[in-house]
Amino acid sequence: MLQAYKEKHAKAVIQYSIIDFNGIVLESDNVLFSPIETKNIADVHPFFESLIPLLTVENETFTFSCIHLEYNNCKITSDVILQTFNSKKSPLLIIHDLTTHYNNYQTTAQVRNESVIHSQILELKNDYLKEKEEFKNAFIANFSHELRDPLTGIITFSDILEQSGLNHQQLDYLNVLKSSSSFLKDMIDDILDLSKIEVGKLDLVIDPFNLHALLDDLKLNCIVKAKQKGLTFHYNFDEKLPKIVGGDALRLRQVLTNLINNAFKFTNEGSVTFNVSLNQIRAQKASIHFEVIDTGIGIKEEDVDRIFNSFTQVNNEDSYKGAGLGLSISKYLVELTKSKITVDSTYGEGSKFSTNINFRATPSLKLPRQKPASFSNIKKDKKYNILLVEDSEITQLSVLKILASKGQFFLDIVFTPEDVISKITNFDNEFDLVLMDIKLKENSGDEIAQLIRKLPEKQHRRIPIIALTAKVFKEDLKRYKKAGINDVIKKPFNEASLLEKMAMYLK
Amino acid sequence: MKISKKIVLLGHFGVGKSSLIRRFVENTFSEDYKVTIGVHILKKSVEIPEEGKDVSLIIWDLEGNDDITATRLSYLLGTNGFIYVFDVTRPSTYKNLKNDLQFIKDKHKNIPVKVVGNKNDLVTKEFLKQNNDEFGRLTNYYTSAKTGNNVEDLFNTLAIELIK
Repeated sequence: MLQAYKEKHAKAVIQYSIIDFNGIVLESDNVLFSPIETKNIADVHPFFESLIPLLTVENETFTFSCIHLEYNNCKITSDVILQTFNSKKSPLLIIHDLTTHYNNYQTTAQVRNESVIHSQILELKNDYLKEKEEFKNAFIANFSHELRDPLTGIITFSDILEQSGLNHQQLDYLNVLKSSSSFLKDMIDDILDLSKIEVGKLDLVIDPFNLHALLDDLKLNCIVKAKQKGLTFHYNFDEKLPKIVGGDALRLRQVLTNLINNAFKFTNEGSVTFNVSLNQIRAQKASIHFEVIDTGIGIKEEDVDRIFNSFTQVNNEDSYKGAGLGLSISKYLVELTKSKITVDSTYGEGSKFSTNINFRATPSLKLPRQKPASFSNIKKDKKYNILLVEDSEITQLSVLKILASKGQFFLDIVFTPEDVISKITNFDNEFDLVLMDIKLKENSGDEIAQLIRKLPEKQHRRIPIIALTAKVFKEDLKRYKKAGINDVIKKPFNEASLLEKMAMYLK
Repeated sequence: MKISKKIVLLGHFGVGKSSLIRRFVENTFSEDYKVTIGVHILKKSVEIPEEGKDVSLIIWDLEGNDDITATRLSYLLGTNGFIYVFDVTRPSTYKNLKNDLQFIKDKHKNIPVKVVGNKNDLVTKEFLKQNNDEFGRLTNYYTSAKTGNNVEDLFNTLAIELIK
């Protein structure tokens, strides 16, 4: 009985065959492939055809692993050994069926290879998307930058036009022009910020600043906005708020301005409230709570999560203009301070945006000393020599018109490093200030500044240099400082921002 | 007289070696990827009218490996021609192309090698041009096992070369 079971279940897995030097099978036990006696082994499977040239090699053992063979409905994966002897003894062929073993290996290899290929493809897709994203961000940054020169022209000449004795109707038209260019400027700033955010290059610049002054400034803006829209404005600034704190004043102003502007934009009747209170001062950090409350149109519950997405406006009515970037940027900026913006809103009744931000607060914090920045403080009986390094005709004309209108400046305009050095080193005409465009067509303004700082004569290399540029991110400012640039005027600029900054450096 | 030539396909896994052979021998294609382990051997006769000969190509489809030096030497015994296949869409399959070819030429002197960039249906001509320095200069054929593009030509040209 046992023998019968063994015969039924035990499967022979090795076949032995003797073949002659031409491949004819002389003898075989036929346990795997049969019948093959008298056949040429090359006719059993193409694999064996490749063995024919090896049959005449004497006294050699050839081992082949994992060979897939098929003959007369017998399909196996095997190891094959060809043993040759001397020229008088026929070669021996051993076929070892290892199908089960190799099938297991096949399953493992399948999983491993699929996983490797999948991760390689994923990596390629990610690289492609990253490249595409980088291209998009670079394009946005460059394009936004290119818009700043014409915008400087519009803003400057609007200011000049305003002082040219216009009638009421013309002044109304001019105001539309000015508010449109101001709106455009804000949009470009937002787009540029967003492009930096998306590549993780937007950082906070932490310096001491006057929080009271910043809040008073925002309050004044709110009062004007409320008056323009016929709304009531309430505010409550905690008396315990520290005056001088350490933080990024520019970005704080940006966040609060966005929240306040949003409140006014979506409120047509009722009020806007701006509250600022001190949570606590602990471990030299002041936690300050900001909230902006409006009685505007509110946000539907299902839309609350979407309002912080870029280019999203949950209310698509034309009357609410904007690119939908403000809240997205504000959210990112607040997150940089390791905090978040909270929204409470009831559709049709209004919204409350609030956040808690930590600032450095130590008694030793002091504001940096600054020269009075008013143009009225400069000497009235002196004429100043200004060198403008700029290749944009619009900006050249804008600076020229602004300075000419004051009657206190001589202006020279150049745009190559050779001309800059030649002008500055001319002892007959010493310059009081250099206004330096950074993105010149052929050169970079910070490189030219470095050349100036290396000049042999003290009075030449110490001349104040102010950069005119749209690129004012942290890494840009560091680069300018390293190049010896004293200060920066951000493009697009207007008459006031240009003259005030110049006044800081004119003796 | 019957002429038979052994051709071995080499290259990384997943580059389409088995698919190229299946396209050439059976004129079929499957989107499903089935890993080759060890070696599959297929055979196809090619008629070469210019020479008035039939050549029997015994095509060895080797398990893909990213390290060519790890290929089992027994598989390469008696090889008459090599086809080195890479996938034009996966840089990892052609990043060592130059070294791999040098290895084959050093170990198997005077044996013809055809270099094939497969899956060309997935990329544009512009892409292939852009990658001329990367793999273009070393490549003899761009093929697609999926569409059959250049597959017949590849094997027939190698067959002619092998009987000359």
